[in-house]
Amino acid sequence: MSSPSPATAPPVLEVDNLVTTFDTDAGRLTAVDGVSFTVKAGHTVGIVGESGCGKSVTALSVMRLLPQPMGQIRGGEIRLDGEDLVSLPIDDMQQIRGGRIGMIFQEPMTALNPVHTIGRQLSEVFLLHLTKDPKDAWQRGITMLERVGIPAPNDRMHEYPHQLSGGMRQRVVIAMALACEPKVVIADEPTTALDVTIQAQILELMQQLQRDLGLAIVLITHDLGVVAEMCDEVVVMYAGRIAESGPVERIFNHPTHPYTRGLLASIPRLTTPRKSELPVIEGMVPSLADLPEGCRFQNRCPYREDICGQLPPLEEVDADHHCACHRWRELPAANVS
Amino acid sequence: MDTTETTPATPILQLRDLKMHFPVREGIFNRAARFCKAVDGVTLDVQEGETLGLVGESGCGKSTLGKCVVRLNQPTSGEVIYQDTNLAPLKRKELKPFRRNLQMVFQDPVESLNARHTIGEILSEPFIIHGIGDREERKASVAKLLDRVGLPANAYDRYPFEFSGGQRQRIGLARAISLNPRVLVCDEPVSALDVSIQSQVLNLFLELQRELKLSYIFIAHNLAVVKHVSDRIAIMYLGRVVELAPADEIYTKPKHPYTRALISAIPQPEPRRKSERIVMTGDVPSPIDPPSGCPFHPRCPHATDRCKVEAPALRPAPDGASGHTVSCHYDL
Repeated sequence: MSSPSPATAPPVLEVDNLVTTFDTDAGRLTAVDGVSFTVKAGHTVGIVGESGCGKSVTALSVMRLLPQPMGQIRGGEIRLDGEDLVSLPIDDMQQIRGGRIGMIFQEPMTALNPVHTIGRQLSEVFLLHLTKDPKDAWQRGITMLERVGIPAPNDRMHEYPHQLSGGMRQRVVIAMALACEPKVVIADEPTTALDVTIQAQILELMQQLQRDLGLAIVLITHDLGVVAEMCDEVVVMYAGRIAESGPVERIFNHPTHPYTRGLLASIPRLTTPRKSELPVIEGMVPSLADLPEGCRFQNRCPYREDICGQLPPLEEVDADHHCACHRWRELPAANVS
Repeated sequence: MDTTETTPATPILQLRDLKMHFPVREGIFNRAARFCKAVDGVTLDVQEGETLGLVGESGCGKSTLGKCVVRLNQPTSGEVIYQDTNLAPLKRKELKPFRRNLQMVFQDPVESLNARHTIGEILSEPFIIHGIGDREERKASVAKLLDRVGLPANAYDRYPFEFSGGQRQRIGLARAISLNPRVLVCDEPVSALDVSIQSQVLNLFLELQRELKLSYIFIAHNLAVVKHVSDRIAIMYLGRVVELAPADEIYTKPKHPYTRALISAIPQPEPRRKSERIVMTGDVPSPIDPPSGCPFHPRCPHATDRCKVEAPALRPAPDGASGHTVSCHYDL
């Protein structure tokens, strides 16, 4: 809404051609294969896709939190304000995580430690990054809880996670992520575990904090509704690669890639005629151990041709709008409204 | 569209003032000092071939209500009338002949299938329990079921882990329809599935209903999904139905303030819409200690003193279609 215009806002986080692999019993699997995107201050980039498409692995790669030793970044760069994080010693990452990049996880009950009070966990963030004085850290914690809209923050500081509701716990997680005024926040399915009315509260809070602090947000989700409401730009991932990326209105109103088209057509909306047959994407996502040669969507794609046996490059459709499909020029224009 | 012109025939299923109170045991004598009122006086009808959608947030009692219908829970009071029989007071043995008519599809297709049994064994079990057919006939029935829900015949000898979430939900559905039930309670049957798989499974639900004239009680929190499959929708809050209306009307003319907030809170996949969201403050209160009067009053923007003391009854909605009822004191 009031985010600075794309031309003027500086890029905060740049992910460039990221390749992340996992060594498993089935051999080396490439979970993320050549993913690039840029997040500007005050902007929200949504990464959407189905389970196993690599969206969470992308987030963990940025945070350098991949499970060790299986998960490794094999290529590409991740730049925070121009500084490459991939080559950074892991000890220096400690300063960046929670300091300059905050992370909001899906399940607030597992993201918080059940045996410590909210106050102890929240002050820890300040003690690690900003202050040595426990009293000061505690005070800052109270201010932070107030900021994320938790009533009676003084009392909440002494409580344990299980004493709070799901929505309140997620607010605490957000408070921890924002404690050191990071420039970037990575939110991995932040509202998936919450009820819709609580989800609305949390999304509202995230938007408000973004306006106040000029945060760059990477929002990872499978919910296209959340993306439409929150994001400026979208990256659609399929089986580890970018299928399509671009400004949210372009992607939702003029989807170009057959996968994006299929996905948008298949979700029931309040305006869909009741009990009508929904368009479907046939088949299912291929497993990473068994990817087809060439375009990864080909076995489900209604427009498949011989050329799809080769990997499609990410081509420019329009300003900032990219699509990885050999045939996007020939396909009938999709107009979803 | 077919605005289901059901001449008021006898409903296939009638719930009358259904209550399910779970005891909360505490203290040294482990006495039930308080009760969690999960379902607190619900009256609903389900017509033959109809889908009744049940929507609400976690803890509103929608799943418990579903379990009462198939008698996985014994209701505390009230009636569950299937055709002419009240199932609520029946004993285990007396229930058995009715079980095949009321079946359930669960949310999590991983948890609800026994990982140590093959698909063939899982799908044969209903026939064995009800003593239907011999080994060969059962095998043939299972093959027919697998085909019906769009699974390959070789699934018979395979185990649940070999299947994806969508396929497992198909297996769950095959099991539920194996004995030709009349009523299917579907508890969040697609919410664990990926977006592109959801529509496949929803289509299957609709197809089966048309073919087999099934009645569904479709429980979900995603209103767009529920609206798509339902003829009528009941909105639940803290164990009670706060609004009941034809599916198209509930979102064009929602009457209850909770329904309105719920609908406006659903993020729609349309970027330009950028919400006029009604953001409700606060959380859903605990059903152990529900608020006095109207259960929604602490979160309601229109609440008055009357709402704090007097619980509203379901009444016909002002200028609503027939069958649209709402429990609010005011015409908002």
